Amino acid sequence: MQTTLNPSDEPAVPMPVMVAAELQDALLIALRDLQRLEGLLDHATQNLLERFDQAHDLLTPGEGAELSQFGAASFGAASQALRLAVTELQFHDMSSQLIAHISQTLQGCAFRLGAATMGVEDCDDESAGLPPMPERPNPVTQSEMDAGSVELF
Amino acid sequence: MRSILAVDDSPSMRKMVSFTLTGAGFRVVEAIDGVDALEKANSETVDLVLVDQNMPRLDGIGLTRKLRENPRFKNMPILILTTESSDQMKQAGRAAGATGWLVKPFDPNRLVEVIQKVLR
Repeated sequence: MQTTLNPSDEPAVPMPVMVAAELQDALLIALRDLQRLEGLLDHATQNLLERFDQAHDLLTPGEGAELSQFGAASFGAASQALRLAVTELQFHDMSSQLIAHISQTLQGCAFRLGAATMGVEDCDDESAGLPPMPERPNPVTQSEMDAGSVELF
Repeated sequence: MRSILAVDDSPSMRKMVSFTLTGAGFRVVEAIDGVDALEKANSETVDLVLVDQNMPRLDGIGLTRKLRENPRFKNMPILILTTESSDQMKQAGRAAGATGWLVKPFDPNRLVEVIQKVLR
C-alpha cells in the first residue's frame, strides 16, 4: 500500500506507508528530544539566576557596611563581570523561542504526514484537527550572543 | 526616581532588565505580557515602557498601539526590545508609535544610555 503527500493536481510522489510512519516517528522523537533540551535549559537557567542573585547580594553591602574581605579593585572587577554577564544570560529567552518554533514545525510536519498517510489530506488543517504550523519565520536570527542593534525612530 | 515598565513573558529576561535598570537608579515595574502591562500602565506611575515583541495574549506592537490610543500615554517613550530584527517588523513597530527598536541580547550599559537619552 502506498500513499501520496501531494494533495494538489501536480504529479504525486508515492510513499510507502511504512516510510511515512518511520518519518513521523522520527519527527516525534526529535520533538521529545527538544522538549527535554528545553527542560535542561530551564533548570540550568534557574540555577544560574539563583547563583547570579547570590553573587549580587554578596557584592552589595548593606548601608553603612564595609566591603569585608573584598578589596576595592576586586569588588569593582567582580561587579563589572556580573554586569557583563547580563548579556550572556539572555540566552535562555532566545533558546526558548527557537525551541518553541522548531517544535511547532516538527509537530506540524508529523501530524500532516500522519494525516496524509490516512488519506485526509484534502481537508483543511482546522477541520482535520491538525496543530497549526508557525505562521511566521523563526524570530531568532542571531547565532552569537553579541549585543544587538539599537535604532531610535 | 523614574519608573520603567518592563514587559516580557520570559522570567529570565525580566530579571536581567530589572537587575540592569534598578542598578542604574530606576524603579522597575514588571509585567508578564501586553495585557498585564496595560493594567499596570493604568494603575502605576510609568515614565517609559520597555516591551518585548513576541508574547502571548498581546504582543509588543499591539501593546504600543493600545497605549498610543490613550492620550495619557501619547508622548511616553516606548522601546521595543526583541529578538526580531527584520526591517518589516521595525517598520510595523514604528507605525504603531514605538520610540525605538532594540535587538536582543542587550548590553546593559547601552540599554541604560538609550533609556536616559529618550527620557531627557
